[in-house]
Amino acid sequence: MKITIKFKIIILTISFLAFTSCTLDGGESLNGASTSSISDDLSKGELPQAISGILSDMRFRLNTQVDVQSILGREYYYFTSSDPRFEGDVVTGNMDNQTFYTTQAWGSRYSAVKEINLALEGLTNTTSDFSAQEIAATRGVLNTLKAHQLLMVSNNQYTNGMRIDVSDPDNLGPFVSYDEALTAIASLLSEAATDLASANSLDLPTIFPLSSGYDDLRKIDPVTGEPLPITSADFLEFNKALTARVEAYRGNYSAVLAALGGSFMDMVGNLNKGVYHTFSLTGADLANPLFIALNQEANVRVAHSSFLIDAESGDLRTNKVVLRDTPREASGLVGTHDVWIYQSLVDNVPIIRNEELILLFAEANMVTNPTDAVNALNVIRNAAGLPDYAGALTPSALEDEMLKQRRYSLFGESHRWVDMRRFGRLSELPNDRPGDMVPSTIPIPFDENQ
Amino acid sequence: MATSVKRSNAANAVSTVSADELAGRTPPQTLDGALAGKFTGALVSSNSGSPGGGMSVKLRGITSINGNSQPLYIIDGVYIDNSSTSGAGLNAVSAAAGGGNASSQDNATNRIADINPEDIESISILKGASASAIYGSRSRGAAGVIIITTKRGKQGKTVVNFSQSNGWNEAINLQGQRNWTAALAESAFGEGAEFSAAEAAGKLFDYEKVLFGEKGFISNTNISMSGGNEKTTFFAGFTRNQEDGIVKRTGYDKSSIRLNLDHKFTDNIKLSLTTNYINSSADRGFFNNDNSGTTLGVALATGVRPWDDLFPDANGNYPDAPHGASNPLQTRDLMTNNERTVRFITGGTLNINLLRTDNQSLKFVARAGVDHYTFTAKVIFPKELQFMRPDQGGVNGLSAVTTTTNTNSNYSAFLVHNYTTNNDVSFTTQAGVTNEQFSRNIVSVIASDLIASETNVDQAANIKASQTRLEQEDFGFFVQEELNFQDKLIATIGVRGDKSTNNGDINELFYYPKGSLAVNLSNFAFWGSSDAVNRFKVRGAYGEAGTFAAFGSLFTIFGSTLNDNNVGIIVPIIRGNPNISPERQKEFEIGFDAGFLNDRISIEFTYYKKKVEDLLLEATIEPSTGFAREWVNAGELENRGFEIGVNIKAFESEDFSWNSNISWWTNTSEMTRLDVPTFNLGGFGNSLGQFQIEEGKSVTQIVGTTGPDTPVSVLGDAEPDFQMSFVNDLSYKDFTLSFLWHWKKGGDNINLTKLLSDFGGTSADFDDFDFDPNINNGTFRINNGLFAGNARPFVEDASYLRLREIGLFYTIPTETLNNWFDGTVSNVKLGFSGHNLINIFDYNSYDPEVSNFGGNGLSTGVEVTPFPSSKRYMFQLSVQF
Repeated sequence: MKITIKFKIIILTISFLAFTSCTLDGGESLNGASTSSISDDLSKGELPQAISGILSDMRFRLNTQVDVQSILGREYYYFTSSDPRFEGDVVTGNMDNQTFYTTQAWGSRYSAVKEINLALEGLTNTTSDFSAQEIAATRGVLNTLKAHQLLMVSNNQYTNGMRIDVSDPDNLGPFVSYDEALTAIASLLSEAATDLASANSLDLPTIFPLSSGYDDLRKIDPVTGEPLPITSADFLEFNKALTARVEAYRGNYSAVLAALGGSFMDMVGNLNKGVYHTFSLTGADLANPLFIALNQEANVRVAHSSFLIDAESGDLRTNKVVLRDTPREASGLVGTHDVWIYQSLVDNVPIIRNEELILLFAEANMVTNPTDAVNALNVIRNAAGLPDYAGALTPSALEDEMLKQRRYSLFGESHRWVDMRRFGRLSELPNDRPGDMVPSTIPIPFDENQ
Repeated sequence: MATSVKRSNAANAVSTVSADELAGRTPPQTLDGALAGKFTGALVSSNSGSPGGGMSVKLRGITSINGNSQPLYIIDGVYIDNSSTSGAGLNAVSAAAGGGNASSQDNATNRIADINPEDIESISILKGASASAIYGSRSRGAAGVIIITTKRGKQGKTVVNFSQSNGWNEAINLQGQRNWTAALAESAFGEGAEFSAAEAAGKLFDYEKVLFGEKGFISNTNISMSGGNEKTTFFAGFTRNQEDGIVKRTGYDKSSIRLNLDHKFTDNIKLSLTTNYINSSADRGFFNNDNSGTTLGVALATGVRPWDDLFPDANGNYPDAPHGASNPLQTRDLMTNNERTVRFITGGTLNINLLRTDNQSLKFVARAGVDHYTFTAKVIFPKELQFMRPDQGGVNGLSAVTTTTNTNSNYSAFLVHNYTTNNDVSFTTQAGVTNEQFSRNIVSVIASDLIASETNVDQAANIKASQTRLEQEDFGFFVQEELNFQDKLIATIGVRGDKSTNNGDINELFYYPKGSLAVNLSNFAFWGSSDAVNRFKVRGAYGEAGTFAAFGSLFTIFGSTLNDNNVGIIVPIIRGNPNISPERQKEFEIGFDAGFLNDRISIEFTYYKKKVEDLLLEATIEPSTGFAREWVNAGELENRGFEIGVNIKAFESEDFSWNSNISWWTNTSEMTRLDVPTFNLGGFGNSLGQFQIEEGKSVTQIVGTTGPDTPVSVLGDAEPDFQMSFVNDLSYKDFTLSFLWHWKKGGDNINLTKLLSDFGGTSADFDDFDFDPNINNGTFRINNGLFAGNARPFVEDASYLRLREIGLFYTIPTETLNNWFDGTVSNVKLGFSGHNLINIFDYNSYDPEVSNFGGNGLSTGVEVTPFPSSKRYMFQLSVQF
């Protein structure tokens, strides 16, 4: 019975192991850094990653946001064979509060806001040896970006309202009206401006990198002719550009002019000078989601027919669309021209550019100073190959002209719908089918429980 | 776990499936597929017709909304992994879910498909906590346990079995085409001239037939040997299954080798070992939802007209699809979506009788098991493909490899004490501890802009890597006492304690009690010896079981991103919850088993009610928080149902016998409490229909809007009204005929396939008038359906009646065999069999059994251009030496 004894030893061993090994350890997350690692104490090493994450996330679902606004502004149609709702719900204005065209842009912008809030919290709690200037510059940059993201939400939501205070997920702030939202965004920008100004032209790359989409803001070294590192003062010019846009939306034209003065507006400079989202095909980077090759069939962005019909002859900006080999039809809508703003998967997408600033300058002056307004409009017209403006100088004539120039200069950049709404002209936008309609707002997502 | 109760004493309705029932009628494609219709209380549904499987098995309704709702499989004591992993890269091309990561829409297989049905001796199905409580938490005891016993050797003559079956599969329900004429082509697309030209050239094609019209060749070879002496017995089996799909370049090829050994050291010490090696490869094609017009299904539905010429020229150059982003023939012929699994499962059980006297015994049982596999998903889209070419906006070729290494191991030890009194009352006491460990590492690399025709992921300009790890350990113990009073009263009481590293407090024990009572009335003296009712047992059981939170649900962790070459961190979609706790199922069942006319007729009846508390919900959170969903314990659901089984031995004589089984079962669910606002999942928004979790409503309700500015209303329910199966086994002399009818009555799907082909103008029923006498179906679904925000046309009854299995066999009489082979061959059987040969349904697509979102959770039954289902015809020969 020797073997029985051996087995008894085995049993005792197993039993002993079983009852002693009953304390578990482990339970780690394994697959990423906790969000509290940023908000509890933002370190110098983490700051660049937090900023890059924000710049990256600002691009998520950018296509949904731009496509929906461009369809609503009747700039172009987006036909996709596998999701017909771009030619359905969005064009008929019968938009559901749970479908991607409503929820994605909202969710993505607030994700970026969350990242900014975590970084701001971390900046308050940091134990790293950031200087006061570094803190101020970082805060200024973060709040400027936050203001931009909130502005993107308010553009969609308009009078439906939105939340501004979202820092505590368990205790969200209230929905505020459109006016209150714009006021909050404007004051965020002004706080940020104060911070950026107090940072004393700090070289931002010493604390975090910005993407090459911000390179246009860099000054040129007068001696070497090389671009200098981007500074907090350079970034302030972006902040002021956004401020000008927000103030125009609020109808504060004197504030627009003041802000433009501090911005990178350049009447004689490149109209494309500005701040951009960048894209690449490298690793986890994103490809430009607004690029589609010419003459596709399944997925196409085709210009609304009125874009060419309404254009002045000789307007070079009509090269933003290209005649298709064959028209693309979808459910009674027809496109003869492909939208051709972005020509590769790595093209940048503008956040704000000089061309818009000049147009904002014209808009702010059209009542009080028509001559300045016309001069600015002529800069735009001439650049587009058109002769000087020869129409009346009445505010209403200038408004028509300004809106027209904005339509062609900022085609496909999410402005037309917002502009027509600002001036109470949504009813002028064309509807090609009997049931089509342009709504003034996008629904609040169902999950906000409003 | 270490004891078994004989069926006549069981207090639960435990269903069993024998080897013959599982694979004897017709060779099944996968193990889970072979379960459909074979026992009560289950909803077994396949996700598509793609070779290699992909199934959902739900026992007694939906038991978890975001936790696992699939049962646990235990084979010879080894916990088997049944997860679904899809190949990265598919979604990068299809863009079905955005973001480029693997998504649940990639038509993945689940890993139980690896197990070879031919090796299985029997299956017991514990459908809920009242039976499975003892298996504890992670165990998804909550979702039920499927206990599989494989074949083992018997002492005596060595027996060799050889069987070969060959056959083919073909699509069960191709949709056909519109009745194209030049006039229709002109009115639909202005392409009357193109139609006429193609017609004149004899170049009008039915591309559905071209793509899905193949007959796939099937070959199954099985060899097994078993035997042994009084100390050692063995079973060895080898199986090779090969089958081609109904789409060219798809198919499944699996080899499985098993060796089971039993050795008795002494009369009191026995060791049982099982080992199983599996090597499988599945070519799955490219199907389901997409947002890029590239999957075969979407391309066919939306971008292909019969007069388009999509065939390659003599040099193999494919023309671009004139109306779509992809040429589906080119995609079919050039792309690869291969899943390869190499799996090793091994386990051992040691039984030691420590004490054996006349009236008591003490037994020690120790078990260990390991299930390890490496799963490699390879996805290749060569640069020649229309949608890969840079001039078409493509990325110049894409190659992706996803490698999953998964190891589950489980250990347990029990002591079982049995004591019988002089008046035949026995007490069985067992106590034990269990430990389970789970480890998974998924690494995927997606490469694009490939060098020449190379596919290694380093041969590319752009490379994106991602990794997901899982490490989990559970520990549990249990004690149970069973009392058997002369086989008249059988009572059990027990408790289990469990903890897991997935819980908020990893060392907190959660306790789950159970208790049951079976009363064999017919064994009491007062019953007498009635022939009319010869057997009658009433039974009742109660049990609780938990489902642990999914790994990682405690944490809110940053994802990584890249922006202009700078690495960045972004907030996740799901907010973790550090206080998450397991959900708890409480199941009560009651029923009776009766035998009439000496068991000529027997009846089993069961009613159950199972409640799941502290539901683990990935509930939506206000998206302005920056998250989309968060883990919470916030609700309660209930499933109630009946299960009835009737067996009739209609005829039994030497030459002829007829045995019939009729089963009927139904389940109803309700969200009895929801602590978070009503939320939706599984679907594509209200205008197309989606699932909605709402207090007081059925868990599986399907809702949607029905017109512009209409409120959301209930449009259907995925839960069937009832299911029924009808099995008949007839034998006449040396012939046997056996067939299984399976009827699922009710249960709705969300069917979006037709809508997509409506947009392509190619739906077979486009010109019919089923919805409105004046508006044809295609126009109705578009204008009065989608554009009007009316989801009603997309929610469809998914009832079916199908001849699941049929087998007709002839066994050559032994005398003849002896004459022919002089005794070396002891049995020869040959015959014909089939799977899904008759399918009756109104559902407007290939098959009402379908799921765009895979097998888990609620979202089964959403259809977007799937791989069409097939039926199988098989011829078989088996020989025993």
